[in-house]
Amino acid sequence: MNFLDPILDLFRGKAVTIPPMDGALRPNTALDDGEVIAAALAPDNLAVLRGLPIYSSHREIRRLGHDHAILETCPADVSALAVEEDGTLAVALDDGSLRIGGTRVEGFNGVTALAFHGGKLYVANGSEHFRPSQWVSDLMHRKASGSLWEVDVKTGQRRKLASGLAYANGVAVDAANNRLLVSESWRHRICAVPLDGGGVTEVLGRLPAYPGRIVAGTGGYVLALFAPLNRLVEFVLQEAQYRADMMREIDSRYWIAPTLSPPENFLEPLQNGGVRSMGVHKPWSPTRSYGLVAMLDQNVRPLSSFHSRANGRFHGVTSAITVDGAILAASKGGNHVLRVLIGGGDA
Amino acid sequence: MPSVIEMRKITKSYRGVPAVKDVDFTLHTGEVHALLGENGAGKSTLTKIMAGVVEAGSGEMLHNGHKVAFANPHAALQNGIAMVFQETSLVPSMTVAQNIYLGEEKFLNRLRGIYIAAQQFLQSLNFSVDPTALVASLGAAKRQMVEIARAVHHKADVIIFDEPTATLTPEEKRHFFALMRRLKASGVSIVFITHALEEALAHADRISILRDGELIETGPAADFDRNKVVRAMVGRALTGEIYSRRREATDLRKRGRLILSVRDVSMGSMVRNNSFSIFEGQITGVFGLVGSGRTETFKVVSGIYKRDFLRGGEIEFDGRPVRYNVPVHAVEDGIVYVTEDRKLEGFFETMSIAENFYAGPLAAGLTKSGVVSFAEMREIAADWSKRLDVKAINDNARVVELSGGNQQKVVIGKGLAQHPKLVIFDEPTRGVDVGAIAEIHRFINQLADEGLAVVVISSYLPEVMNLSDRILVCRQGRVVEEISPVEATEEKIMFAAVH
Repeated sequence: MNFLDPILDLFRGKAVTIPPMDGALRPNTALDDGEVIAAALAPDNLAVLRGLPIYSSHREIRRLGHDHAILETCPADVSALAVEEDGTLAVALDDGSLRIGGTRVEGFNGVTALAFHGGKLYVANGSEHFRPSQWVSDLMHRKASGSLWEVDVKTGQRRKLASGLAYANGVAVDAANNRLLVSESWRHRICAVPLDGGGVTEVLGRLPAYPGRIVAGTGGYVLALFAPLNRLVEFVLQEAQYRADMMREIDSRYWIAPTLSPPENFLEPLQNGGVRSMGVHKPWSPTRSYGLVAMLDQNVRPLSSFHSRANGRFHGVTSAITVDGAILAASKGGNHVLRVLIGGGDA
Repeated sequence: MPSVIEMRKITKSYRGVPAVKDVDFTLHTGEVHALLGENGAGKSTLTKIMAGVVEAGSGEMLHNGHKVAFANPHAALQNGIAMVFQETSLVPSMTVAQNIYLGEEKFLNRLRGIYIAAQQFLQSLNFSVDPTALVASLGAAKRQMVEIARAVHHKADVIIFDEPTATLTPEEKRHFFALMRRLKASGVSIVFITHALEEALAHADRISILRDGELIETGPAADFDRNKVVRAMVGRALTGEIYSRRREATDLRKRGRLILSVRDVSMGSMVRNNSFSIFEGQITGVFGLVGSGRTETFKVVSGIYKRDFLRGGEIEFDGRPVRYNVPVHAVEDGIVYVTEDRKLEGFFETMSIAENFYAGPLAAGLTKSGVVSFAEMREIAADWSKRLDVKAINDNARVVELSGGNQQKVVIGKGLAQHPKLVIFDEPTRGVDVGAIAEIHRFINQLADEGLAVVVISSYLPEVMNLSDRILVCRQGRVVEEISPVEATEEKIMFAAVH
């Protein structure tokens, strides 16, 4: 009778399901147990500049050290950062501008991630319609207008490598396989695109959260997943009319949508299920925000993960890198930068 | 102390094989007397003689100093001796209230009156059972409660409980032991058969231990500890083998390939958006209270129940989406479910061990010739009897004649003869003695070591904690938490299961 299922699915609807967080993604409290190394407003875009970690906080680019010195203040919020081996800094802003060193590159709308390799800068452009700070709107409009670009560092010439991506939100170079790895947030997967352009192939799918930035790390990659999949949100995403009404009538802060931080205002939708029971906030309750960093091997298979669960503080991790055998994670929703030993996650 | 029951030199044989031999047993007035022993040790036979279910071959029994020999359970009940059976003796087509008042019907029976009286009576025992519900619609735990209520209702001065707590939740067990204390305080003498040694040590006044039909030891409970009880029961120390291992991270098996992925599976109100994965080469322990949907979830996985037609979720087995309408398709794909209710669903009790073993591959179409072959049946039976160490006269013995532990081994063997990739054990050691528990645990571990994906559903926390490489906790129809056995404590698991 199994042969009937595809036909029956036409009538009963194909199941929309959320993969469980288990196996290498088994929940733990590694992020909450990690060392807080900086308190900053909306920290993001971790990178290493001349041996020292840097991060962005709204419009500022800061050094992660004793003084948290401001290296640069930009005219708009920083949406992506990358550092070339020679110390050249590529900075993308929320207004759509992109600068490599002192050279401006035009033509982008919402750069979400950058990666240098072999004299080229690879650019993930999240959406043609919305700024990076408006990522929730892009999700709610169910757009798939993301693209991947190659920019020549010397000439500033750009070339499109892939398009039609459902929010390209992270890019890393897999030099050994001559390809780029791209996080496609709204399709909950990591894809591969050949360095010289071509078809998009899925290398890691069915993620239980929205993947964000991906960077090369110790023996593989580090992936920041900035918000969890949630059944209520998935349901809302299927209901076009409801979504249209919600977006028209309700302030975007209060939409039923993923978020980087737990709700603080009573007007915000409840973390469904995230209720207290006997005075304890249930860590396993389904939430709209979560903290998750995954270590991937060279074949982009999950090895271990670091979590801040429903009752945790460090949600909305948008960027993570490895430095000296530890992971630095920027919890944009939790306003802290954390340091977690790589062995501290769950294998 | 005056004794209410005194048994002297009791012997009973079945087909020449003695079930109890020259047993002396004394039950004092107002005491809780735990009767312990492995399956087949003779506990049930001894108590059945006491309750008039079977007749003793030789020896004598005194009740309040008078020599008695009950011809049937009704005669025993008339004399104030009631027995609560391990296999419930309720009438499934009647309501709870009708079962409690069975045999006391008046000429003009008024159902409403019976329901009100039963409601009050059940409430006084703290049992939440609907008196108007049909017994057939009740789960094992609630049937047990009705059985206990019936015995208490008959105002017996001797009540024999045969494994009363095996199907009860921790909360229900607390109520049961409070009830037992109340009965004891009112002068009722209680014989209490259990496999949970902690219960016997905690709640009994005296303990008697049987082995191979003989009384090995009897004395005040305070003189016993777990090791002493186990040594007397099996003739060797077993405690080191089960339930005492402290799990270290290095003890745990690494997960292998993902074999089963369950995503947002729903089935009525019992299974709700349940999601989890099962990996090869690991034992995944599943804990949950009665009604948490753990058994139902795995029955959906193995095709016994169907998930919801609309928005029923997805199940992927071995990389392929599946939706089984009947179990045989699941068996063909390599999923075997070893049932928790072995008597009802596990085996054909009047068929031989060999026929039961052969039924597995025969049903799944895995026999060599595709038709019944007695040579193949003998071969399969000999192989699995040896591997599982089934203790029987020969493979032609009927399963109904075996002890609980050996029956369970037959159920396991019948499933494993189907060459599964995923084995789901539902309460594999319920109603099984400690000796057989150790053997079954060893066998389950061996399966995981061989690379099979193994799921063990259990209500017994020490079993889950000692056997599992990962623990899933179910509540209200879904897996709510995954806990590593390294960090697991009973409190932590119970909190996830309850709140």
